[in-house]
Order: sequence, then structure tokens, then C-alpha cells
Amino acid sequence: MDVLLASLVDGLLIGFVYGLAAMGLTLIFGVMDVVNLSHGALIALGMFGVYLLFTGLGLNPYLGLLIVLVLGIILGMILYAIAIHPLLDGPHLSTLLSTFAVSMIIIGVGTMLFTSTPRNIDINLGSMVLGPVRLQGTRVVAALVAILVATGLYIFMYRTHVGKSIRAVANNRDAAELVGIPSVRILAFSFGLGTMLAMVSGGLIATLFPFSILSGGTYELKSFVICVLGGLGNPTGALLGGLILGLIEGLIPVFMPVGWTPVIEFTLFVLIILIRPSGILGAR
Amino acid sequence: MMILEAQHLSSGYGELQILWDVSIALQQGRLTTVVGSNGAGKTTMLRTIMGLIKPWSGKVVFDGQDVTHLPPHKKAEMGLILIPEGRQLFTEMTVLENLEMGASPARARPKMKENLEKVFELFPRLKERMHQKAGTLSGGEQQMLALGRGIMADPIVLMFDEPSLGLAPLLVIELFDIIKRLKAEGMTMLLVEQNVHLALAVSDYAYVLSEGRIEIEGEASVVRQMDEVREAYLGI
Repeated sequence: MDVLLASLVDGLLIGFVYGLAAMGLTLIFGVMDVVNLSHGALIALGMFGVYLLFTGLGLNPYLGLLIVLVLGIILGMILYAIAIHPLLDGPHLSTLLSTFAVSMIIIGVGTMLFTSTPRNIDINLGSMVLGPVRLQGTRVVAALVAILVATGLYIFMYRTHVGKSIRAVANNRDAAELVGIPSVRILAFSFGLGTMLAMVSGGLIATLFPFSILSGGTYELKSFVICVLGGLGNPTGALLGGLILGLIEGLIPVFMPVGWTPVIEFTLFVLIILIRPSGILGAR
Repeated sequence: MMILEAQHLSSGYGELQILWDVSIALQQGRLTTVVGSNGAGKTTMLRTIMGLIKPWSGKVVFDGQDVTHLPPHKKAEMGLILIPEGRQLFTEMTVLENLEMGASPARARPKMKENLEKVFELFPRLKERMHQKAGTLSGGEQQMLALGRGIMADPIVLMFDEPSLGLAPLLVIELFDIIKRLKAEGMTMLLVEQNVHLALAVSDYAYVLSEGRIEIEGEASVVRQMDEVREAYLGI
């Protein structure tokens, strides 16, 4: 029973981080109808961002995360200008290919620079005991940071003029232009936010598990499963989907070999697409 | 003084030319109308003026400046506001948020509170439904919200694209009362309408657009009396 509870809580904690990553994917899709295939590579880039700041400059990973956050927004805006904007009015396939190209470039250069040897960030925050459950400090902090970022994003989207402008552009781009919202700048910034979410979640994952420049792919797939669970284009759904996926991952090892995890996850993915394609919360 | 001028505008979609050498001019403080039947190119004309469609040739001059190639948001920023056909609301956002978005131009921000009060005074029902999603409003309420959103931008020129479309007759009268009221307050407006009778009745100056060309122009009271207009559009 205690094992079950511990796995549940563990899964829930990691679920917040998964949810944060998926929010990045779903935000970009919701605002500009682009499926960002560089999502995983950007997650890996976030991992290395925090790692390099930690090993190179001795910066605390959580402080490094703050720098990665800012860099993520800037990088995302640059990527938008290069890989998204010129193709936005073209067929869907164009941005699918261009973001895939970005992914290949990041992974290629990354492999050259860092090889594909697994790295890890050596950080131990001890553990805390909560009733019958022992929680790893890094997991608790990672979940808290993810909640903080997600809450910050939510407040930004619903309380600030720029945030509301993002929602307006997502809802009706022409109408947004007509009321004086510079939609191109808003789209660029949204891509920046999506990239930031990917990189920050990557940075958080790096404090939990070993990783290489190739690790992003796994988390990209998880993000897709989560987005479909929660409804593509729905950030709240993404967070919920993240928690569900986290729980599944926490529980599976209790009952069967870990190798079954992706099988269960993707079976769920297919089932949701078949039965409820708009996701648990319905699409936006 | 002419506040907005379209000079020899031609435009269209892809290979298909819709507008042919269209020239109109709006005098400050007056209500100008462009009437014409369905498919005459009225919406295309407005979209070209705003820059949602790129003009093939011709010029748009607003407030003495050549704005032909400015993107729509820059024109809105300058005070040229279009209330588009089919409302085009932010359906997923609340009524209040829609109005706030209307006040996006920097020049409208300081006046936001004042304009919001004005909108709520004009349309008390919007105040009641402030926190409701725009998509859940009735057709009439949505048109009121579209108009309210336009007013929030503190426009120098307010352009309407078929505001009466899909409204019940009583609501059309209500809408035109508000247009008359804005006119009395000195707002410069361009009213593009299929409801020729009403449009000519409230306007000062009128253009008749037919198959993408301006066929007739003149004082609305004169245009209303023209035989060809009476026969073709008023059914008299």
C-alpha cells in the first residue's frame, strides 16, 4: 500500500513537469496552428542549458533555469522569424518540415558538441517524509517550479494586455489586426513562450534523470500524448493530461515491468483519438 | 477636409479582380455610405482599404498620409477602425475582454474607462453580460459588441461592413439609431450596406458600387431620388 502511494505521489510530481512541457506544445498549436516538431530538441536544449551553466559556471541549477527561461523566449522568437513566419500562410506540411529541420539541426550540432554520452546534474536536496511517503527533494522542487511557471503563465494570459492579445490572435487573427494588435509580433512572442516552456521543463527534467542531446524525443512524444489527452490547444488540459500521464508512469512499475509504460501510454493515445478526439476537456 | 481617401483602388483574390479603379472620399464629420447589391465588391473594398487584402494598384490616404501599404494594426493604431462583416468577435473571450481588446491602440488606452462607460450606456445589455463569453451572445448582442469594440478604439473614422446583416428588423432600427447618434456626436463614418433604403436615409453622401466599380456618387438625398437607383435598389 505504501509503495503504491509513494509511486502515485512520485508520478504526480513528475506529471507537473510533463504538463509544463506539453503546455509549450499546445500553446504554439493553439495560437498559430503549428505542430512544433522541434519541441523535443528544445527540451534537450533546456537540459543542456542548465547543465552547462551548472558545470561551466557552477551556477545553481534553479538559478540556471531562470537564465534558460529568458534565453528560451529569445531563441523561440528567433526561430519564429526563421522557420515559422515565412511559411505560416503555406500548407501545414511546410511548418511541420521546417520545425523538424530545426530539430535535426539542434540534435546534429548538439551531438557534435556534446556527443550522445548521458550526462547528469549532480544535485541532491535530500528527501522529505510525508506520512508514509518519502519524497525526493529534487522532485518536489521540480513540481513546485512547474506549478509556479504554469500559474505565472495563466496569470499572464488572463490578466495582462499582452496575454489577452495572444488569446485574441489565437481566436481570430484578422479581428486582432483590426483592433490594432500587431499579430506578427504576438505570434513571435507566443512561439517564444512555447519554446521557453519546452526548455524550462527540459531544465527541470535534467535535475531528475540522466539525459543526452537525444533525450528530447521521448518527452516530445509524451507531450503529444498529453496534448491529445487534454485536448490540443488547451493549456489547462495539458496540465491535467500531464498529471494523468505522470500517474500512469508512477503506477505501471508497481504492477508490471517498466518496459510496458510506452505501450500503455500509446494505447491510451490511440484510444483517446478514436473515442474522444477533442480530449478530456475538449478542444479550445 | 477629406479625412480618408481611396484613390483608384484595384484589388481582388488570386487572379480574380474584384475592384476596378474605385475612388471614394470621406469628409470629416459626415456619414458616407457605399451601397450596392450582394457581390458588388463592398467587403473587398473595405478589406483593401484596411490592408487585409493588398491593393493591386491605387492609394489609400488617411489623415493626409499615404497608408496604402501599412498593415491593418498600424491603421487601427492611427484611428481607422473597421467593424467587420459577420462581427468577427473574439468568441472565446468574455464581453469585457473583447471591449478591452478594442482599446488596444495606444491612443485609445488612456480613454479606456471613459469609452467603456459610453459603450455600457449605449448597450446596457453588454454590461449585464460583461463576464459571459462573446460566442454565447445572440446575433443582435454580438453586433452590439462589435460596435462597442469599435468605439473602444476611439476611432477617427469608423467603418461598418454590413452591420444590419442577419439582424431582426427592430434591431436594425436600434442599430441605425445608434449610428445616427454617433453622427450627431461628430463621428466620421463609412457605412457599407446592402440595405440601400436605410443607408441612403441616414447618410450625407453616397456612392453606388456595382460590379466592382463606382457607378454613381453624390449627396445621399440626391442619389436617393435618381431613377436608376430607385429602380435598381429601392424597387420603386
